[in-house]
Amino acid sequence: MSWSKLAVFAGGVLFGTAGIKALGSRDAKKAYTQVTAAALRAKNCVMDATTKVREGAEDVYEDAKRINAERAAAEDAAVIEDQA
Amino acid sequence: MKCQILHESEGRLRVHLCGKRMSCRQADILEAWLVATDGVISVKVYDRTGDAAVCYVGTRDGVIAAFASFSYEKAERLVTVPEHTAREMNREYEEKLVMRVVVHGLKKLFLPKIVRVALAWLHAARFICKGAALLLRGRLEVPVLDATAVTASLLRGDHKTASSVMFLLGVGELLEEWTHKRGVDDLASAMSLGVERVWVKLPDGTEVLESVSAVQPGDRIVVRAGGMIPLDGKVVLGEAEVNQASMTGEALAVHKASGSYVYAGTAVEAGECVVAVDKASGEGRYDRIVRSIEESERLKSAVESRSEHLADRLVPWSFAATGLTYLLTRSVTKAIAILMVDFSCALKLSMPLSVLSAMREALSHGLSVKGGRFMEAIAEADTVVFDKTGTLTHAEPRVVAVVPFGGREEPELLRLAACLEEHFPHTIAGAVVRAAKERGLDHEERHSKVDYVVAHGIASEIEGVHAVIGSRHFVFEDEGCRIPAGEAERFEALPDEYSHLYLALDGELAAVILIEDPVRAEAADAIARLRELGLSHIVMMTGDSERTAAAVAKKLGIDEYRAEVLPEDKARFVREAREAGHTVIMVGDGINDSPALSEADVGVAISTGAAIAREIADVTVSEDDLYAFVTLRRLSEALMWRIRGNYRAIMSFNLALILLGVLGVLPPATGALLHNGSTVAIGLRSMTKLLDT
Repeated sequence: MSWSKLAVFAGGVLFGTAGIKALGSRDAKKAYTQVTAAALRAKNCVMDATTKVREGAEDVYEDAKRINAERAAAEDAAVIEDQA
Repeated sequence: MKCQILHESEGRLRVHLCGKRMSCRQADILEAWLVATDGVISVKVYDRTGDAAVCYVGTRDGVIAAFASFSYEKAERLVTVPEHTAREMNREYEEKLVMRVVVHGLKKLFLPKIVRVALAWLHAARFICKGAALLLRGRLEVPVLDATAVTASLLRGDHKTASSVMFLLGVGELLEEWTHKRGVDDLASAMSLGVERVWVKLPDGTEVLESVSAVQPGDRIVVRAGGMIPLDGKVVLGEAEVNQASMTGEALAVHKASGSYVYAGTAVEAGECVVAVDKASGEGRYDRIVRSIEESERLKSAVESRSEHLADRLVPWSFAATGLTYLLTRSVTKAIAILMVDFSCALKLSMPLSVLSAMREALSHGLSVKGGRFMEAIAEADTVVFDKTGTLTHAEPRVVAVVPFGGREEPELLRLAACLEEHFPHTIAGAVVRAAKERGLDHEERHSKVDYVVAHGIASEIEGVHAVIGSRHFVFEDEGCRIPAGEAERFEALPDEYSHLYLALDGELAAVILIEDPVRAEAADAIARLRELGLSHIVMMTGDSERTAAAVAKKLGIDEYRAEVLPEDKARFVREAREAGHTVIMVGDGINDSPALSEADVGVAISTGAAIAREIADVTVSEDDLYAFVTLRRLSEALMWRIRGNYRAIMSFNLALILLGVLGVLPPATGALLHNGSTVAIGLRSMTKLLDT
């Protein structure tokens, strides 16, 4: 058996005992909570940004509709009515 | 409140409310406040950012003042804010949708390939299980195609295509779920606004009419045939057949006697009972309505929606084309390319979106539709049956005169009639009660027990006298009453243009109450328009006499009518019409319409009518206007037109993609891009408004 395999085995044993302990420890849990909170904050950020984009898009859409309405009104105004 | 204008154009303002984060409830309050402001056409409140966009007519000062004077506490006091809105749910689904897209993108960007492949397989397992389950039952439907496409591309090592197909399918599913929840929610909020009233039995035995919200636990309430049991409780007196379909789905009525427990939302079919209330209103009332709508949806979903079938029908063809391509070209890649152009995801995405927007549009016209397939049936219908009272006429009949017989006094007879009719939830009955009240004829509850027969009339004992009131059929044929000697001539001479209500005491006719129920001003025009819209068969049903019915039908341009009908006749007529191959819409408003409403392909209830009719109906019209019904038909037709148009567009576009792909003109990547692009474009177009007005 080579030394490297033995090292991997030893590492596995170490992880199986101390590593699991470390991952389940109170400090680690704190870290998980922080990471989860950060993820939730990121999610909120994404949602807020999406809403902002939507609001902006709606502004553009409404204004565009108004421009077209004005153009149509201008075109209508350029017509001389048949009075014959 | 201090605000900042973010964007302004003529007739539109987008404003940010300076302050803390906005909760969903607060957003609802702001929306209600702005809607109540003069000149405001439409309002959209974005709760996440605390912004509001307002479209208005006239000067902007009014809108600015509305914002400046706004505060949550004040607004909550001054305007009615709906108890439940879809805001929270929409927020949840928006979040889910955006997160799906974001997670999909992040996965593509950051995860190593091996993890993505493993995730794709894990995700695919769900599709494979679903497809296999259908295949085992011998059905070749869309899930089988999905599963095959996903598995095939995974086996070929093309996890990218597989995961994007699964992503689109997931989004489609989410949208479908949202559609459904949204529809149910909109309807439930519309329904929970209606105030129900109940008869409360006081300790001294008298009965008073009260609003449901005023009832306390321990109170005793009386529920009679056709009435809804508004609150949970225990029967303490009487016996009744209770229909619990809204709770259990069981269509057969259950016998309830003293000591049995009855549930809110169930309906009394026959008999009467006194219920000791267990729980006050408000506790779970909204949830009950939602549950009952969901139940009625589930019960009726035996009729599978055709739009789903459209996609299903394509599946064998897809498989056949795949096989054929392989045989002709001997190229697995090209064969699988056909499976890849997945018709179903575009279909699945555009259908729910079309239906969702159509249902929302219907709601803006005062029409709550309980499901997309009802709109489909409305579009296909060729026969419409109107129950005259309350639909073709205003639901406000008026007593014109009381013609006494047998030498009795008119006021006393009206008082008696009102006393009997008060317990009957019908519009004609309401007219009699109103007439008595207008003439200042107060009455105490003098009779010992009401036992009534739905729709025919009421029988009761008043101070030892046997009193019956109701239709001609009921009074003369069923009860065997007779006209007092020497007054037959007077009886025959009664004018025909009114509906007649007969009151008899101890087997002898005592009075004929003449009731006028004027037809709606718009009825004739609305019917003409319905005929233009392809409803060739318009039928009127009424309990009136033949001559009255003929006169009304002629006035409205209705070609077919049934006079002197009983509730079971209505249901039978609807059933026969359906058996003859017609698609039938039934429009009604009373308890006696309930069997016919549930028998028809689509039951439409006018929401001023009886609670049970609303519960059973598939569509409720809250607007007191027959044109709303015309709008419903137009909207349904436009929806079906759009769905068919989408179907054709999706089919032809994707078919072209397949052909170009097989011929080698279009590289696969471009094909996939065009396919997905067209799916999104059609999806977006499906969300636009159907009608101009």
